[in-house]
Amino acid sequence: MITRTRASVLIFSLAAIVAAPSPAADDPALLKDLTAVIMLLGLPCSQVVNAKRQADNDHIASCKDGNRYRIFVNTAGRVVAQKQ
Amino acid sequence: MNSAIRTIGILCFVLAAGCAGVQEAPPSVMAGPLIVDPSLDVPKPDRSVATVPLRSEAIQTDVAVAPPPAEPHQTAMTGDEVIGNEPVAGAPAPPAKTPGAAKAVLPPARTPAKVSASPKPVEQSRKNEDPPPPARKLEPPLDVAALKARLRDTNAIGVFTKLALKNQVDDLLQQFRAHYLSGQKTSVASLRQPYDMLVLKVLALVQDSDPPLARTIAGSREAIWGILADPEKFNSAT
Repeated sequence: MITRTRASVLIFSLAAIVAAPSPAADDPALLKDLTAVIMLLGLPCSQVVNAKRQADNDHIASCKDGNRYRIFVNTAGRVVAQKQ
Repeated sequence: MNSAIRTIGILCFVLAAGCAGVQEAPPSVMAGPLIVDPSLDVPKPDRSVATVPLRSEAIQTDVAVAPPPAEPHQTAMTGDEVIGNEPVAGAPAPPAKTPGAAKAVLPPARTPAKVSASPKPVEQSRKNEDPPPPARKLEPPLDVAALKARLRDTNAIGVFTKLALKNQVDDLLQQFRAHYLSGQKTSVASLRQPYDMLVLKVLALVQDSDPPLARTIAGSREAIWGILADPEKFNSAT
């Protein structure tokens, strides 16, 4: 009985940790920023709805229309959007 | 047994239907009697005596309780003249000769609508008469450095956008520099289109979150172009 209780507590804890969204993915300012960058670079994207941080200044942006871009700052200091 | 249950069920249904059928009268219908109600207050003679000189009881009561009319000549009308007139929008309900006649002369439901609609033109005219808002401060036109500084300081756009914008501004300035260094005698009109496109992009980025900056940039458009299109000004500015 105790083992079952512990197992269920562990499962719920893990589920809560996994289910909690990353703060970067839900940051509306970041999503808006990435949307603006993609628009500024002349690439098609209606709206960035999700962003996954890979490193500093490096994100994978998923657009509402299905497009995905890797947006990062290259060594020359330029913002680049690579279609995935 | 079944018939008794059926009967009870039918009775309950009829009762529920009767309850559901009772509704409140619409507000327009409710407003009508409110206007005419004072005319039915005949049994209070002291009120009419206090306010209006006596002529006949019914008329005096009506005139006494009715709100003051819009035009002074209506107060001088006799009961007959008033009854012969059409109801005027915004004017009080026509008086009745007798309390019994007051019910017959109940104004139609649309009369209150006319009365309530009359203040609208007044409000509209008041709105039109409102003084215009004070003129916005006209900022001096920006130069290239000031534009860069304003874009750097604004919170309307994010870091990625600022960096991408800086790259594009630098690219455009590099094109101007290359044009002047090449020694071409042609004008820089070919660079006007990329310049306009960049200005439009900037405006699109900041117009929602920082309208003052957008206005300033839009107002500085020709001034900045004047700097960029003049080689001497361009060299001194960059």
